[in-house]
Amino acid sequence: MLKRDHTLSLSTQARAPGFRVELRGTTFRLIASGAWTVAEATRLDTALKRLRVPIPPTPEFTGEMDIAAIAEIDTAGAWLLQRTASAWEAGGLRTRYAGATESFRILIEEVQRRGNTERPKLQRQGAGQQIVEDLTKALTGVWSDAIQLTSFLGEVTAAMGRMILQPWRFRPTSFVHHLDHAGLRAVPIVGLICFLIGAVVMQQGVVQLKPFGAEPFAVNMVAILALREVGILLTAIMVAGRSGSAFTAEIGSMKMREEIDAMRTLGIDPMDTLVLPRVLALIVALPLLTFLGDITGLIGGGVMAMAVLGLDVSNYMDKLHEAVSFKHFMAGMIKAPFAALIIGLVGCLEGLKVEGSAESLGTHVTSAVVKAIFLVIILDAVFAMFLSAIGM
Amino acid sequence: MDNGREVLIRVSGLAKSFGGYQIWDGLNLDVYRGEILAIVGGSGQGKSVLLRVITGLVKPDAGDVELFGHNVKSLSAKDRLDIESRWGILFQDGALFSSLTVLQNIQVPMREHLELPQAIMDDLAFLKIAMVGLPPEAAHKYPSELSGGMRKRAGLARALALDPEIVFLDEPTAGLDPIGAADFDQLIHKLQQTLGLTVYMVTHDLDTIFTVCERVAVLADKRIVRTGSPIELQRQPNHPWIEEYFCGERARAAQSGEQPRRLVV
Repeated sequence: MLKRDHTLSLSTQARAPGFRVELRGTTFRLIASGAWTVAEATRLDTALKRLRVPIPPTPEFTGEMDIAAIAEIDTAGAWLLQRTASAWEAGGLRTRYAGATESFRILIEEVQRRGNTERPKLQRQGAGQQIVEDLTKALTGVWSDAIQLTSFLGEVTAAMGRMILQPWRFRPTSFVHHLDHAGLRAVPIVGLICFLIGAVVMQQGVVQLKPFGAEPFAVNMVAILALREVGILLTAIMVAGRSGSAFTAEIGSMKMREEIDAMRTLGIDPMDTLVLPRVLALIVALPLLTFLGDITGLIGGGVMAMAVLGLDVSNYMDKLHEAVSFKHFMAGMIKAPFAALIIGLVGCLEGLKVEGSAESLGTHVTSAVVKAIFLVIILDAVFAMFLSAIGM
Repeated sequence: MDNGREVLIRVSGLAKSFGGYQIWDGLNLDVYRGEILAIVGGSGQGKSVLLRVITGLVKPDAGDVELFGHNVKSLSAKDRLDIESRWGILFQDGALFSSLTVLQNIQVPMREHLELPQAIMDDLAFLKIAMVGLPPEAAHKYPSELSGGMRKRAGLARALALDPEIVFLDEPTAGLDPIGAADFDQLIHKLQQTLGLTVYMVTHDLDTIFTVCERVAVLADKRIVRTGSPIELQRQPNHPWIEEYFCGERARAAQSGEQPRRLVV
């Protein structure tokens, strides 16, 4: 903001912006006064828009922007003056400025020079076109995701093969680190969640089966459910949310800072150092966590059974023995390494797909979790059909 | 008023420590209206932190900051907001909001502080885009689609959105190639002349200092050890760090190139 005189502090009266138009001789004069600043722009804009462009009766009529009474001006004020001057010019009045100080003149000239640039039009699509386009993108996206994931599975398998032939490629420190982070540190939360869900399912089972007099069978239901489905599914979903997202964030932020490019140029294979230790650690950790989930689920159900069915510990154990066999336990456990592979692959692949911006990192972390959970549930459904087909 | 010049910002007796390490002890600095002031100093002297203290992003352990004659400690929330609309800040990489286009970025301060009709905001934003030397096509681009130099210019346009009285620039030429940096120096100088700005910049760039800065404040030994024009500091360094900085090989190179590149406005 430029002031006419810095030593002067303006009274409110003098600050109030305004203008009037008068005709003197053959000159239409717009006499502006007060503070023409961005804070006053709305008021000035409305008033100026109401102003009619003077129509010169003969060509010798001219216009003048008299700004001698303007105390403060900034680009907004200068722009408003210039807009009015341009309108007058367009109406056939040659318009000039009067009463400008040196600094006002520099600003007004700059605004004159910069104010009339061509503006690119924003390309807007119709809603219909947008919907079709988004749908197409989403569908082709599913297909290209499937291809990417399959080829990444191939790469990881090849890398594992290389590692078996050349065992020194294995990174034990990294493997143990991820085993700790994805496995050991997930123990409390996985145990707690499975315990609570076991208890809730038992309570609901008893309530719902009571009208049929079948409440003792709630134990069978909880035991089979915990071992076959709930243990593995809950654990896998928890791990996808905890570790899958962490993998994407870690690898993605390394990608953002070009650390992965740096590794490649140093002759370090990111597959060996970043992807394999994570995937292998998950393949080891997830079955262990699933076992924990199974057991705590059964304990949760047991605690609730003791409360609502009045069983004691040995009764509950007997009932468990009757209800489940080793094959139910295996039917759950067999899925764990496959779910781990999916979560690890999706997490690492999404991380490697991150591009320069933080926004891209966020998008990929979200999509890693969503895709991993979705694929784990698909996997579970496929296994359910397969296992029942072979009679397990 | 102080020797005839109006003090916009006065920092006195500032102290700050991070994790047991004291970076300043009794730092004083005045910023006058209409000047281009450069803050220089070695790494870890807290140049950027000083900028953050003045703009209220970091609280000092002791000392006072006066903005436009008001002590920040006694400011009400409303006064604080008023003051915030009187300054503009250009962060190192522009700090543009990544989910908004350049045009929308420039309009953020206008929306936040004023109620302007959309047409006026568009007019003003396009004007600012042209004034910082960006092509009009940049208006509808997102920050990620711009080069580093363009992002800085867009950041400057946002800093200038409300025609502030003072702009803070954090390393304005860092990361630009020499031509881009020289262009940016010219731009700062030109805008300072056109808009009557006060410019406070943190910089390392000797070229910038010798071509556009009127006054340099040197941050060393936990305070501002000297202020003066670049030439004064070079003629009489009186401090080992200043001597090394202003009389070294790079400074001589920057200064020898001074004559042909002297700005003509």
